[in-house]
Amino acid sequence: MSLKHDIEFTLNGVRRQASVRVDMSALDMLRDVVGLTGTKYGCGEGECGACTILVDGKSLNSCLLFAVDCNGRNIVTIEGLAADAKADALRAAFVEYGAVQCGYCTPGMVVQASHLLATHPQADADAIKRGIEGNLCRCTGYKKIVEAIASVNAADKQGARP
Amino acid sequence: MNGAEKKARFIAPDTLIGKRIPKMDAPEKASGKTRYIHDIDLPGQLYGKILRSTRVHALIKSIDTAAARALPGVHAVITAADIVNQRPIGVAKDHFPLKTDKVRSLRDEVAAVAAESEQIALEALKLIRVEYEDLPILTDPAEALKPGATLIHPEPRQPGGQDALKPSGPVAFTGKPDNVAMRFDYCHGDVVQAEAESDVVVEDTFKLHYVTHCCMGVSGMIADFDSSGNLIMYSNTQVPFLHKREFAEYLNMDPARIRIIQPAIGGGFGSKLDIYPFEVICVFLAQAAKRPVKLVFTREEEFISSPTRQPVLLTLRSGCKKDGTLTFRVVNTLHDNGAYTSWGATTPFVMMQTFSSLYRVPHCDYHTTAVYTNNPYAGSFRGYGNLQATFAVEAHMDKLAEAIGMDALDFRLKNAQAQGEVTGQGMEFDSCGFKECLDTAAERSDFRRKFAENLKNRNSSDPIKHGVGIASMLHVGGGAKIYPSDGCGTILKLDDFGQVTLITGASEIGQGSETVLSQLVCEELGLPMSALTVVNNDTAITPWDVGVHASRTTFIAGNSALGAARLAKAKVLAAAARKFECPASDLDLRGGHVIKAASGEALIDLPRLMRNLHFSDKAELVMTTFYYEPPSSYQDKRYKGNVSAAYAWASQVVEVEVDTETGIVKMTRITAAHDVGRVLNRLGIEGQIEGGVVMGQGYALTESLIIENGVTRNPNFRDYKLVTAPEIPEIDITFIETMDGEGPQGAKGVGEAPAICVAAATANAIYNATGVRIYGLPFTPERVYRALHGKGEKLVPLTAKAA
Amino acid sequence: MNEIEHYVAPSSLEQAAEYLQRSGEVTLLAGGTDLMPQSQSGKLKIKRTLMNIHQIPELKGITIEGGEIRIGALATITEIMQSELIQKHLPILIEACDQFASDQIRNAATLGGNICNASPAGDMLIPLLVLDAEVELASKPNGSLTRRRLRLTEFFVGPGKTRRAPAELLEGVRIALPPPHHYARFFKFGTRPALDISTISIGIAGVLNTGTLSNVRVAFGAVAPVPTRAPRTEQALEGRHLDAAAIDAIAAVARDEVKPIDDIRATAWYRKELIHNITKRMLTHVAQA
Repeated sequence: MSLKHDIEFTLNGVRRQASVRVDMSALDMLRDVVGLTGTKYGCGEGECGACTILVDGKSLNSCLLFAVDCNGRNIVTIEGLAADAKADALRAAFVEYGAVQCGYCTPGMVVQASHLLATHPQADADAIKRGIEGNLCRCTGYKKIVEAIASVNAADKQGARP
Repeated sequence: MNGAEKKARFIAPDTLIGKRIPKMDAPEKASGKTRYIHDIDLPGQLYGKILRSTRVHALIKSIDTAAARALPGVHAVITAADIVNQRPIGVAKDHFPLKTDKVRSLRDEVAAVAAESEQIALEALKLIRVEYEDLPILTDPAEALKPGATLIHPEPRQPGGQDALKPSGPVAFTGKPDNVAMRFDYCHGDVVQAEAESDVVVEDTFKLHYVTHCCMGVSGMIADFDSSGNLIMYSNTQVPFLHKREFAEYLNMDPARIRIIQPAIGGGFGSKLDIYPFEVICVFLAQAAKRPVKLVFTREEEFISSPTRQPVLLTLRSGCKKDGTLTFRVVNTLHDNGAYTSWGATTPFVMMQTFSSLYRVPHCDYHTTAVYTNNPYAGSFRGYGNLQATFAVEAHMDKLAEAIGMDALDFRLKNAQAQGEVTGQGMEFDSCGFKECLDTAAERSDFRRKFAENLKNRNSSDPIKHGVGIASMLHVGGGAKIYPSDGCGTILKLDDFGQVTLITGASEIGQGSETVLSQLVCEELGLPMSALTVVNNDTAITPWDVGVHASRTTFIAGNSALGAARLAKAKVLAAAARKFECPASDLDLRGGHVIKAASGEALIDLPRLMRNLHFSDKAELVMTTFYYEPPSSYQDKRYKGNVSAAYAWASQVVEVEVDTETGIVKMTRITAAHDVGRVLNRLGIEGQIEGGVVMGQGYALTESLIIENGVTRNPNFRDYKLVTAPEIPEIDITFIETMDGEGPQGAKGVGEAPAICVAAATANAIYNATGVRIYGLPFTPERVYRALHGKGEKLVPLTAKAA
Repeated sequence: MNEIEHYVAPSSLEQAAEYLQRSGEVTLLAGGTDLMPQSQSGKLKIKRTLMNIHQIPELKGITIEGGEIRIGALATITEIMQSELIQKHLPILIEACDQFASDQIRNAATLGGNICNASPAGDMLIPLLVLDAEVELASKPNGSLTRRRLRLTEFFVGPGKTRRAPAELLEGVRIALPPPHHYARFFKFGTRPALDISTISIGIAGVLNTGTLSNVRVAFGAVAPVPTRAPRTEQALEGRHLDAAAIDAIAAVARDEVKPIDDIRATAWYRKELIHNITKRMLTHVAQA
């Protein structure tokens, strides 16, 4: 069996430790070691975005990230966003605007959208489309996803959100 | 406060129909809480993995599993030799889950392992030694028909070998004297006479390519036997009740002992209508290991071993008169079945409807031959052959119009079907908004003006050419009677708190069925959506349904839910009528209350009435059941009959920019007009149309599963290109509400419709832009560039004999 | 499966170079965006030691030093894209970054990784070639840290192969500040803005003076085993007044110069056509600039 290594990191605001195989992906660690299944496997090659997480405030494909490289870093998953009141408006917009169908791409999409809103608060529809170009969705045709994200941006601009 | 209570309260009428209702399961999905098959683990569960063939066509000389069996953590290693009386699966029963003496395609399952971790299972696969003896490879369907061609399923199956089926067995398949898997021959009228009377005749050959579903959630299942030997399957199937019976047959079990539980499904699109080897193998592994076994694909495996949309070679001959009247169509198609027969082979059922009945065609001949090759096998996929058929038909609608100098839209309007017509194939159009779809899509896109303008600019010096194209489609919208029943059952229960549980046979696969069914029930019972709980994923609980396919769920399950709700309403109102000593007809349900129908005055809230009823002398609960069977009929042996209780129509206008220096086609706008009967959930139906349109865009422009000599060359999202967000066109949707008389609240099915005519309209748009017609898909930059430079693929026409 | 025996995460360049010198069997981990999928699929086997170089400060940062811009090997594509220095002095790199994979990958992938992977279609390599970038390699052969520089044009040997010695670490790239009136553009062929492997890519750079380019550098991607400069095209373009006839002639030279192959993404014929047509289009823009 492959070598294991102990790491320590912050996951959704809580410090924790884990012992992981050194060739393991952060995605496998989250799902199989930590037991958080909101982050999805879609391709394992960084081509679909279903496994998107935030690492030190930046969105990454967790399937491309070595679990050992999480050491000392601050990780937020969809479970973290689900428990974060600041992300309520975004998740609510996905529901209200019909941005969810089978829902398999949705957690990664929501995480990427939160990153997009944090880094590009002025993003228009075209910029939003570019921002989620690494997230594949087979059901919705993306239109309602873009509308959902844009609605949160618009609400932010109007000061409708604290 | 007593005074206030006595004050009459009036509830204004309201409706849920046509509103934007968020999906009931969306909050869970947006929080990452929804559990898909991938997220479920059972105590004691093992992990299954499949060893697939490394050869395209070969005899299996030997399989050595000793080293794999000896690996610590391995609980079971199975090959065909370990399965007593393995039975073939699939539409033609030509497919053993574990291959016996031969592999016929690169995806073929040779052995399987159950181990304590996925890693150990993968290690064990590497330790299995298989000796092959290569056979000649057959990957060209035209070659497959030639005399002397390598036979994929030669008869009789090897005497005494495992492939030799016992005469007493349940299965008829004993191999084939040739490579023909299925034939379909249909005709109405006299095409020879009609051609002689035509002023213009055109003939072209079209080549439709391999694409695959790419559900974002990869395939997987868990098989678990209880201590009495009952099988519980956690499955992604779209047809749980059909599968319960079929699995029983393949496993030699009593169907009563199989229970199917469906976790949330990460996309269906028709991919989960057949039983696949991995599912049977997972059960075999659970049997062998006596532990629950979970088997989930990798994305690469998903690409390699999933079914594809049916690739088709198609020659169409069409004619019309100078006045624009269509005279005849003759269609010959060659379907590449791949190595085994799944639903792809049967797409002619749908294809011939488009040829015979989308437009009024007085004379029509249709012939399909589906042949075996060593390619991946074709299954069912949203649209079911209709994308392919519509691609050819709509190309000819443009060509014929041009040949007689008639406007493309006028030509279509002249031949379009209308309400009340019965087609040569026996389809009856009780509601039909086809002409309205055509007019609406054309007007909203300014089709005529743009079409003419683009023609003028074809020869301008700008390398970017603009094009606009129109295409339309006909598809079943009221179920499809292809099984002994096309029905769906509903159980409805109202509890003491006015909460309703809707137990339906219809599966949710992301399309929003549980929301629209709840909406229909709430509308009938005057309740808010929050009053509904849906149970729809366990064959031990839910009543029978034929499955999620043929765009049938809103129509069939909707009518079923409505039937149960109406019975419940009658019971509630009867109880209220007794209580308030008035005729039930004076009462209605609204806003969670029993009201006076005339005034809207609230008499009692539903929870209290339910408790009154329950805790009374006659102690009664409101529980109803309903089974809906649509008033459709089977096709006869000549494929004639009214198979659906309603038909959906749509016209779409696609606008493109063609970069003639690179071949890049950019889809800028799609204007879609869909006859959906009636809009129930506006949010949901828009989502279906938008998603379908973009899936159609992928079929037209970017998606192609590249198969070379039986090998899938691009089993990844890097080179199998799904449309990404920046590529989507502007989408304008208009719903034509024809209020179908049989549909629930007037609605018809719409699931498949939006994907069907995008590629056809795109082809017409490229022609409008450039004057070059391209007969093969997808319109990748290189294919378009080659066509623009006279280097397009030359396709050999199929004759009736060849097909 | 990977049979990794050691995992090390050095915190300085010295430590890393020392380790590389001692042990030959090392796989380097930076962003991981290529290493992870390739090792998972079995296309690449991780060696006995996996060295995570992510924490080495010397490999980070984007700075301007003595007329040169230095981009640390660990600079991510996103960091390059957001760097005001790069935006100001090397906008061609921004063009390439913008078309690089997806936001998630840009946030992880490093410039050093893109260079060391040496893909013929590597997105950042064509602009770096036309900027005449140099790579800076560090090692510790005799107990002290030694550096050497190599022009990027000489760095690539074949697909996935470079002149980096096993004991060397790519520390960063250095790019001389472009002269006044510098013109540099990058084109990547694809049907979508990003998330695409180049079918072909083109970089053109030079000093622009009323419709002519001098000190010309042209590079093509995905038309040879390595990303490559195009000397014949450069020669044809150098100092030439870019009227329609000249542009046609130069584009024809470019088409003849490249030697692409057929693969599932495109045929050689089509790649040559694209090189011709896009070169022509880019030069037309130069003429109008």
